Amino acid sequence: MAAFACALVLFSPNAAADGRVEIRSAESQLVDGVHQASVRVQYQLSSRVEEALANGIALQIALDFEIYRTRRFLPDPREAAVSLTYTLRYNTVTERYTLRNINTGQQISFATIFAALNALGRIDAVPLVDASLLREDADHTVRLRAQVSIADYPLSLKYLLFWRDDWRVASNWYTWPLVR
Amino acid sequence: MAARPLRNLFYTGLAAVGLVLALSALVLLAKTSNNSEELARLSQLTLVINGAGIAILFVLLMGNIIRLIRDLRRGVPGARLKGRMVAAFVGLALLPLSVVYYFSLQFLNRGIDSWFSVQVEEGLSDALELSRAALEIQMRNGLIRTEAMARRLARGDDSDLLPRLADERRNAGALEVVVFAPNSRILALSSSRAMDEVPIAPTEEVMLQLRAGRPYVSLDTIDAERFEVRTVVVLANTTATPSLRMLQVVYPVTQRLAGMAANVDQSYTDYQRLVLLRGPLKSTFTLSLTVVLLVSALGAVYGAFFFSRRLVAPIQQLVAGTVAVARGDLETELAPPPRDEIGVLVSSFNDMTRRLRSARDEAQQIRAQVEAERGNLETILARLSTGVIALTAERDIRTANTAAADILGADLDERTGESLADVALGQPLLEQLVDVAEAHFAAGQTEWREQVMLREEVGRRVLTCACTSLPGEDPEAPGYVIVFDDITTLLEAQRDAAWGEVARRLAHEIKNPLTPIQLSAERLRRRYLDSLPPEDAQVLDRATHTIVTQVEAMKEMVNAFSDYARAPDMQITQFPINRLVTEVVELYRAEGHHLAITVDLADADPILEADNGRVRQLLHNLLRNAVEALADRDEGEIDVGVSQHERFGADFIRITVEDNGPGFQAGRLEQVFDPYVTSKPKGTGLGLAIVRKLVEEHAGTIDAGNRNEGGARVTVTLPLDEHARELMLTREHRRLETRRERA
Repeated sequence: MAAFACALVLFSPNAAADGRVEIRSAESQLVDGVHQASVRVQYQLSSRVEEALANGIALQIALDFEIYRTRRFLPDPREAAVSLTYTLRYNTVTERYTLRNINTGQQISFATIFAALNALGRIDAVPLVDASLLREDADHTVRLRAQVSIADYPLSLKYLLFWRDDWRVASNWYTWPLVR
Repeated sequence: MAARPLRNLFYTGLAAVGLVLALSALVLLAKTSNNSEELARLSQLTLVINGAGIAILFVLLMGNIIRLIRDLRRGVPGARLKGRMVAAFVGLALLPLSVVYYFSLQFLNRGIDSWFSVQVEEGLSDALELSRAALEIQMRNGLIRTEAMARRLARGDDSDLLPRLADERRNAGALEVVVFAPNSRILALSSSRAMDEVPIAPTEEVMLQLRAGRPYVSLDTIDAERFEVRTVVVLANTTATPSLRMLQVVYPVTQRLAGMAANVDQSYTDYQRLVLLRGPLKSTFTLSLTVVLLVSALGAVYGAFFFSRRLVAPIQQLVAGTVAVARGDLETELAPPPRDEIGVLVSSFNDMTRRLRSARDEAQQIRAQVEAERGNLETILARLSTGVIALTAERDIRTANTAAADILGADLDERTGESLADVALGQPLLEQLVDVAEAHFAAGQTEWREQVMLREEVGRRVLTCACTSLPGEDPEAPGYVIVFDDITTLLEAQRDAAWGEVARRLAHEIKNPLTPIQLSAERLRRRYLDSLPPEDAQVLDRATHTIVTQVEAMKEMVNAFSDYARAPDMQITQFPINRLVTEVVELYRAEGHHLAITVDLADADPILEADNGRVRQLLHNLLRNAVEALADRDEGEIDVGVSQHERFGADFIRITVEDNGPGFQAGRLEQVFDPYVTSKPKGTGLGLAIVRKLVEEHAGTIDAGNRNEGGARVTVTLPLDEHARELMLTREHRRLETRRERA
C-alpha cells in the first residue's frame, strides 16, 4: 500500500509534469566488427521525484535500442534490439546515490543526484549488434528511446493512474543511420 | 404486453450484474491489496469491472429517476407512493452508510496518524546519525591508513610496487589496493576479490576532488547488508613525473556494523516513505472508501427503486384498474397476484370486475329487451289512431304519439320533458284538452272518461277521452296517460247516415200520398165549389186551397229531404267566386227586401275550382237563412265577406255571412247543422244541414256561431283548387283510415 501511495505521489500530474527526458545526441561506430553506440541523454527529474528518491524510492532508467533494416516500399523489419537498464537509489546511511547497471551488475555511487544523472547521461561503447549479423547490402537505422520509471512502482494501484500515462516519463524516439 | 415484463427483467438483470461487478471488484481489490504482483495483474481488470459496474448502476439509476420524475409530472397512478417509498428506502440506506463512512474515515485517519510519532522519528534520526558516525569513523580510519600507505609507497621504487601493494593490503586489512595512472589506467593492483571483479576506475567526481587537493573517501553500498569504504589519495610521484597517480584502497566495513547500518537505513527509509506518503495514503484510503460507499449507495438506491417498483406495481395495477373501471372499462383483468395481502386485493378486484361485467351484460340484455319493448310500444303508439299522451306526476310530457299531434293539430315533436300546460300555449285544441284534464286533476280524479268537444277555428272536434294513472317507478307520485280519439267524423257519419235514412223514408212514405191528397182536394173543389152555397163554397175554396198549398209545401219539404239524401255527381268547374257571390246577392237585393246587404269581396278576384251549382245553392241557403232570420227586423243588415287564405300550405276561400238578427240559440250551436233543427216558425230545418253537406262534398269546413255584437255568423271554407281539395281529402282520409284501423 505504501508503494502504491508512493506511486500516487510520484506520478501525480504535478509531480510528473516538469520531469523530462531528452536524447541530445546519439551515434554509432563499427569497432572490431561490432556496432557500438555513444549517447548523450539529459535527465531532468521533478522536485517531487527527487524528494521521493531521497526518501528511498528507487528509479529505473532504461535505454532501448532497436536496429531496423531500411526498405523502400515495405515496412522496415527489426533486426536487433538492445536494452540497457539501470537503477538509481539513494542510501540514507551513506548519503550517496547508487547507480547500478542491471545488465552487468556493476554499480557506482555518487555524492549528488546531479553527478549520478550526469554519469547516466554519458554512455559510450554500448555494443548494439555484431556487424556480421546484418546484411551488408542493406541500409540500417538505429532508434533509441530513454525512459524513467519507478523501479518497484506499485502496479497494484495503477488503476488510479489508468486515465493518465504520466506514471512513466520517456523521451521521443531518436533515430540515426547505422554506419557500415 | 409481454415486452414490458421482459424489459423489466432485462433492467433488473443488468442492475444485478452491475452491482455484482462493482462488489466483485471491491472484493478483488480488498483481497489483492496486500499482494502487489497479484493486484498488478488484476488491476486493469479490476478497474474496468469497477468502472463498468458503477457506470451500469449509475445509468440505470438515472433512468429510474427520470422515469419517476416523468411519472410524477404526468400524475401516473402510484407515482407519488413510489416516490415516497424510494425516498424512505434511500433515507434508510444512506443514513447508516453515511455514518459508517464518517466513522471509517475518522478511524482511518487516526489509524494512519498513529503510525507516526515524534519519539519514533527522533529515535530513527538518532540511530541514523549514530550509524553514520560509526561508519564515518571507519571511513576516517580508512583514509588515515590510506594516506599512511601512500606515504610509504611513495618512498619506495615502482619496481617492487606490486609486492609492496600486496603487503600494504594485507597489513591494512583492505579488500583492494589499486594504483591508477592519470588516465585511470591501472598501474598496479592487489585485491582479495575474485579475479573477475574489475576495480572501479576513479570517477569524474574523484578526479575533481583529487585535483582540488583533497583526498576522496566514500562509503559505497555493495548490497543490502554490505558496505565498503573507498578511499582515493594522490600517490606522490617518486620519478618526478608530472603525471598524477592515484592510490585507491577499499576497506570492508565490519559485518556487524554493516548489518546494523543496513537495518537503520531500511527503517529510516521506510519511515520516511510513510511520512512522505501520509497524505496520499489517507487520500487513497478515503478514495477507496468513497468508491465502496458510492457502489453501496448506488446499489442501495437502485435497490430502493427495485423494491419500490415491486411493491408499488400491484398497487399501480389496482389504481389503473380502478380508474379503468370508473371509466367504464370492465374488461380490466389484473395480472395473477402474488401470494400476499395485495394478492388478495388483486383477486378481489378481479372478482369484482367479473361480477360487474356479468351485471353489466345482464343489464345490457335487459336494456336491450326494454328498448325492444319500447320500440314495439312506440311502433304501436305511432300506428295507433288513438292519441296517447303520457304525463309525469308534474304533468310533464313523457311521450306523445303521432296520432295525438294529428288529432290536436299540435306540434308535440321534441317537446318531451316539457310541461303539458306550456306546450299547450298557442295550440287551441290542446289548450282545451288540457283545461278539461286539469279540471279533473284539480278535483283529485286520476282516472276519468269523458267525451270532450273542442272548438276549432272553423268547426268543432269531438274527442272521447280517457285518463288513467301510471304507477311507474314512483308509486307515491304516479304519472298519467291520456288516451283520446277523434270521433267527430264518426258522429257526423252516423248522423248523416241516420238523416239520410230519415230522408229516404220521408220521401217514400210521405211523398206518395201527397199527390192523391192534392188531386182529391182539387177534385172536391172542382166538383163542389160551384154547387155549394156561397158561404160553404168560400169555406170549401179556402180549405181546399189550404190543403193544396200545404201539400205543395210538404212536397217541397219532401223534395228537400230527397235532395239531402241524394248526392248527385259533382261538376267541378273554375269560376270567379266574387262574381258568383255578387250575382246571388244581387238576386236578394232585387227582391226588394228592406235589408241592407253589404259585400266584401276578395282582393285578387280568386278563381274557385268547385261545383258552381252547389256553391250557388250554398250561397242561396245561407242568404235565405239570413233573410229569414231578419224577417221581423226593420233594419236588417247582412254582411257577406269573401277572402282568400292559406292553410296547411294550400289556398282556401272563406265565405262569411253575418246578420244582425237574433243569432243561434245558445246551447244549440252544436246542432244547427243537423237536419230539422230550426228556430224559425216556417223553416224546414234543412237549410244549414244541406249547406254543411255541400261544404263537406267540397272537402271544406263550416262553422256557425254568434257575433259578439249580436247576430249569427256562418263561415264556410272551401278549397281553392284541386291541390287544396286533395290536401283536405288526404287529411280526412287519414282520419278515416285511423278510424278504420282502430275498428
